[in-house]
Amino acid sequence: MTAILDLVLGIVTSIGGFVEVGSISTAAQAGSEFGFQLIWAIAIATGMVAMLIEMSGRLAAVSRRSVAAAVRERFGVHFHFVPLTAELIIDLLLLAAEIGGAAIAVKLLTGIGFQVWILPIAIAVWLVLWLSGFSVIEYGLGLLGLVTLSFVVSAWQLQPDTADVAASLIPSLPGHDHARYAFLAVSILGATVSPYLLNFYSSGSIEEKLTETELWVNRTTAYVGMCFGGVVSMGVLVTSAMVLQPRGILVDSYDQAALMFVPVFDRWAVPLFAAALGIGCFGAAVELTLNAGYTFAQVFGWSWGANRPRRDAARFSVAFTFVLLGAVAIAVIGFDPLRLTMLSVALTVIVMPAVVLPFLVLMNDEKYVKRHTSGVIGNVCLALLTVLAGLLALVVVPLELLGG
Amino acid sequence: MALILAIALGAGACSRTDRQLQQQREKLDSLSASTAAIADAWLAGSTSGTFTTTALEQTFVLLETQRQALAVPNTLVDQRAARLSQAAEAHARLLAAMMHDVRAADARAVREHLSKLRTIGPGSR
Repeated sequence: MTAILDLVLGIVTSIGGFVEVGSISTAAQAGSEFGFQLIWAIAIATGMVAMLIEMSGRLAAVSRRSVAAAVRERFGVHFHFVPLTAELIIDLLLLAAEIGGAAIAVKLLTGIGFQVWILPIAIAVWLVLWLSGFSVIEYGLGLLGLVTLSFVVSAWQLQPDTADVAASLIPSLPGHDHARYAFLAVSILGATVSPYLLNFYSSGSIEEKLTETELWVNRTTAYVGMCFGGVVSMGVLVTSAMVLQPRGILVDSYDQAALMFVPVFDRWAVPLFAAALGIGCFGAAVELTLNAGYTFAQVFGWSWGANRPRRDAARFSVAFTFVLLGAVAIAVIGFDPLRLTMLSVALTVIVMPAVVLPFLVLMNDEKYVKRHTSGVIGNVCLALLTVLAGLLALVVVPLELLGG
Repeated sequence: MALILAIALGAGACSRTDRQLQQQREKLDSLSASTAAIADAWLAGSTSGTFTTTALEQTFVLLETQRQALAVPNTLVDQRAARLSQAAEAHARLLAAMMHDVRAADARAVREHLSKLRTIGPGSR
């Protein structure tokens, strides 16, 4: 009965926690510029993230190690230095973007400039981490995140042509702006398959004491939860394609993106959009900050855990506090949160091979996962997709930064 | 050989300018459509004055960025760029007026400025 409850809660919170600043921005831009045409990118990214999340939970359940700890142990600290540094830089940029996204959500409701809200939001993130245990963080924020289902409701109400949507699951070339199309495809991948998720999910599995006998719970939660989460992301894209594209509105700001809810939710459009954006970003900011603490503590061998009294994991707490301060510093400098988001999710894809490939090696090492090693097809598909996406990102990110 | 190279470089430069102008036009059309959508939503009572004002302000900021991108001597010598710049300036004035109208809750003035905006909006540049 407890396992079933865990399963349901896990799936529900995966749905609620799926959408954040990156997925909203990339899907909204993709829909407004290319209609349904980039739905395939969300489908592929969702499949990849579900596989990776399932693997990281399996690693934690069988080896009792998080991804960061296992990579450090298996490959040594010198090898780990490069991917770890790259991941932490990306996490810092993403965290700044998430805090910026939450601040924009408050701005949409109050009309007061987003810069004013950055520090209060960062303090709120820190207080949640300081005062709450892992379950409150995961389930509480995940359940609140169910407000993002409003994107699915909106897409459903707009009654898109299902044949068109289904046809967009197969990749096709656009009629215009090929570089921009490739950049958005890469960004969707980066927004969905954030490297921090691997370590966060494995650390969370250890916090929740997931065991080898509960691997089926892990598998079901990862695949079902992530697939439903992907549907929410597709809801953003479909709504944007049906509302903004016909009017010729390209998404350059969150104010423009908020307009996508007006035909369906009328007076509730802006409050609902702000709630979805704000809660999604706040939840992701809490996760990213917590993961920074996990990563530092696991790499340097400190005691860690959101469920531990803070004095028993002092260095872990100091680490996540400093990372949060770093992100606040980036956010208050005055970067446009939407541009910062698009840049960090695209850079994520460049970094991804350095994070994913060592992890795939681990998942085939019986010393860590015993008889639960990954299948050949899954390994090859994930490795190829990661490397191809990384190479594509290396080409299109400079193109986009230089103006196409 | 030198002639071919010169033609190729010239053609490259032309196509690059054309592409940039096309991108500018698309951005300006998008901002024009956004302004209309924001104003329409306010007139229909779907959005608050607070949101409408900040959304129009944000559109104004984006419009200024586009205007600055156009305000380069080498670009402005092109007649098409000059027309775009003029249209962007007119749009900026209308946006400023609409922000004022929304703050004053003057729906009639917003409608009036909106209809003027549609005359300089997408397709008229």
